[in-house]
Amino acid sequence: MDKEAIIDKLTNIFRDVFQDPEILLNNEMTANDVGSWDSLSHMLMIEQVETAFSFKFKLKEINKLKNVGVLIELIESKVV
Amino acid sequence: MGKQKVLDVYFLIFAFTFKLITALMEDNNSFDQTILSPLLSNIYRFSNRNAFCIDEVYYSYKEFGDCISKIRPILKELYSNDAYIGLVANDDLETYASIFALWLEGKCYIPLHPNQPIYRSEEIIKDMNINLILDSSLSTVFTKHQTINTSTLSYDDDSLDYHEAFSEERTAYVLFTSGSTGKPKGVSISRKNLTAFIDSFWNCGILINEKDRCLQCFDLTFDVSIQCFLVPLLKGACVYTIPHNQIKYSYASALLEDHQLTVAAVAPSMLRYLKPYFEELNLPALKYCILAAEASPLNLIEEWKTCIPNAEIYNFYGPTEATIYCTYYQIKRNAPNRTLNGMIPIGIPMKGVEAIIVDEGNNILPAGKKGELCVAGNQVCVGYWNDPEKNRKAFFEKQYNGTLHRFYRTGDLCYYDNESILMLFGRIDSQAKIQGYRVELGEIEFHAREYLDGTNAVCLTFNNPKGNTELSLFVEDEEINQADLIGYMKSKLPHYMIPTKIILEKRFPLNSNSKVDKKRLKEKLSF
Repeated sequence: MDKEAIIDKLTNIFRDVFQDPEILLNNEMTANDVGSWDSLSHMLMIEQVETAFSFKFKLKEINKLKNVGVLIELIESKVV
Repeated sequence: MGKQKVLDVYFLIFAFTFKLITALMEDNNSFDQTILSPLLSNIYRFSNRNAFCIDEVYYSYKEFGDCISKIRPILKELYSNDAYIGLVANDDLETYASIFALWLEGKCYIPLHPNQPIYRSEEIIKDMNINLILDSSLSTVFTKHQTINTSTLSYDDDSLDYHEAFSEERTAYVLFTSGSTGKPKGVSISRKNLTAFIDSFWNCGILINEKDRCLQCFDLTFDVSIQCFLVPLLKGACVYTIPHNQIKYSYASALLEDHQLTVAAVAPSMLRYLKPYFEELNLPALKYCILAAEASPLNLIEEWKTCIPNAEIYNFYGPTEATIYCTYYQIKRNAPNRTLNGMIPIGIPMKGVEAIIVDEGNNILPAGKKGELCVAGNQVCVGYWNDPEKNRKAFFEKQYNGTLHRFYRTGDLCYYDNESILMLFGRIDSQAKIQGYRVELGEIEFHAREYLDGTNAVCLTFNNPKGNTELSLFVEDEEINQADLIGYMKSKLPHYMIPTKIILEKRFPLNSNSKVDKKRLKEKLSF
């Protein structure tokens, strides 16, 4: 799966979980930039990413997700 | 000396000794002796040990003492007559130090969460008639109010002396919980209440010392946070907090593992989110794990046990009105544990707490009979702030074991089993626990209806596939703009009160009493 397809899929997940159909992803985006991105919705987002891309994160990987760019890179490394 | 004189002398000696013992006992149970003195003595005794780890930065007891010392003088000099002070609940040393600076000055704090809608904080400020807010933020959002930026104050000298014995009836903190009329209600906890809680807590068998490292993962607007920071500080231990911009569950698990924390209070919902990763978590350093804030399912805890092989596990229960926790159950590691509907019991009353089960006429029910759990004792609060009607409904006096007690109705349906263990069924009213927070469904419905111009809205809970409780909102109108509705609710309610599912219906189903059939609505919540 190429990076663009990953971003498309991830954008849909973000729009669904964070209840905002307008969300556009960028590498620097963090929870501070999205109103409803809290601890609970974060875990729901992680769960949807795991289901959509058919892999499981390690807990340590989740702890290191500093921004959306890191998340995209991590997904890329898992699905290639 | 005549016989009568000897008796008189004996009587005088007895009376004096009794008075002395009583005075000593009273002294030991004062806020000063139970909370302020140990903290102040730890600041000097453990000056070089760590008091806090906040966002990976350590602060020693000396630095904590200095921080209290820089905040206290301005409270004493300029605001000596203000008792109720707003405190912006940031995650930093100044915020924690402010609490003790206020207590040393006989004042109380009312936490205002920086991430909750300003509308909600303004309601609290108005309701409590707050004149001063302590705010450590770089720039305050409370521009219409008198604020002190505690981060910019400078330390001149120690201000940690304490001579005044303020009344035990003074308020220590006021927390606002969800209210069914659309307005949050304030629960006033006195110095006496908090002292009674600490005294009872030490009696449960949890031993903490200066070498312990303790997790504090609760918002300061939620009373479990007080146990999480106060208990370690009273023993010279270190408190590890979660920065607000971090994802609570994963950050907490990293703290537990990387810093080998020894004491942790957690909500079962946090464990549910960590469950898929349990096999990666190995926490042999954990000595005590406290389960709090919501009902604990045994099967989840059985799995969690494998991550914490050396921990004693306690299930604590308590409404805010009875000061943090009022009953507890120690989970057995190598023997079967009792359950009710898969949930661990709430156990036995803590020291000094009377817990009875009553029917609708306030008659005490025998073991095995279900009824409302009511609690009495020094932990039970004076009542709700400015709400005599609610106080009349929630509190009542009753003779029990030969003494007249003032009981608080918890709203929880319980029974005592045949071994006097309290089992919890659930709520009697329409409250729900969301991520550990107590939520009145009526308050959510109130704000939805306000926005919808009176269109009917019903809020119901449902369990997501992980077993955590979420909120759904049914609206009797198929054409509303959901995003706008959610946007409005976010401006009025904290994040945990925003429904995660909105379902639009042309007409609500009605039951035989012509009331909205909530059972049939609930059936529509499928995954």
